Amino acid sequence: MTPLSRYTCEEAFRRLDDYLDRELSSDETELVREHLEVCAGCAREFNFESSILKGVREKLRQIDVPASLQLRILSVLEKER
Amino acid sequence: MPEGSGVVAPAAASLGADEFQALLVEVLPTAYGYALRLTRNRADAEDLVQDAALRAFRAMTTFEPGTNFKAWMFRILTRCFWANHRRRQRRPNTVDFDDTPDLYLYARSAEHGLPWQGEDPARTLIDRLGTERVSEAIGQLPEEYGVVCTLYFMEDFAYHEIADVLEVPVGTVRSRLHRGRKMLQKALWCLAEESGIVTELTQREGDA
Repeated sequence: MTPLSRYTCEEAFRRLDDYLDRELSSDETELVREHLEVCAGCAREFNFESSILKGVREKLRQIDVPASLQLRILSVLEKER
Repeated sequence: MPEGSGVVAPAAASLGADEFQALLVEVLPTAYGYALRLTRNRADAEDLVQDAALRAFRAMTTFEPGTNFKAWMFRILTRCFWANHRRRQRRPNTVDFDDTPDLYLYARSAEHGLPWQGEDPARTLIDRLGTERVSEAIGQLPEEYGVVCTLYFMEDFAYHEIADVLEVPVGTVRSRLHRGRKMLQKALWCLAEESGIVTELTQREGDA
């Protein structure tokens, strides 16, 4: 890969969401990763964003499912058979 | 591109009632979680999941074995929500989301000297906010953004799977998610300020 093909900060930032969500092609992912290795400012922003996503994801997934729900639904389906 | 988090039914001619129930039981916890974020209360969430399960059961023969059962089930659940369980009166939104800039939390935290606090300042902030306030923040988003963000954060759905669940183009998911994330950051920051978390963390940094 030549230096000319490296991403600028702006090009990397434009791909921030897709990079964190693994929605980029492998070539684009590699170019973003390469930029983050040499740009501490972008790396700090990307890490901050990634950490927010992980934190929000963990909080929202903390759900207590009522024990009765499954029984109630299976009972309704049984009547439907 | 990720494979996504599908509960995938085995390829077969069609789904039997027992197979359907086995697959349903597997996705029930996450379906309830999704329903709870949509309806925002437990009783409505239980009704919504039951309603969706019944509709899915009746439409069992339309499910294509070998495809993603969870995405199919969530699509039915979302349709049920829009049709019967959506609250007509939404809670008034107190946050102005217009033109929320990128990296909102990062920038606001930087203004208060928070990004350099500890090894993972973003995590510190989210942990201090806690589950209830994070849920409240996502509930403050305009509905079309809130639903996409809920699916995104609660499940390991890829963009194309969210598009499949919501029956919208992938580009719509991408743009709503991009904007929704920025809105969510603003809502989180507002809640952190209102609840005194920003002041507390700033003082802690000053004392360090």
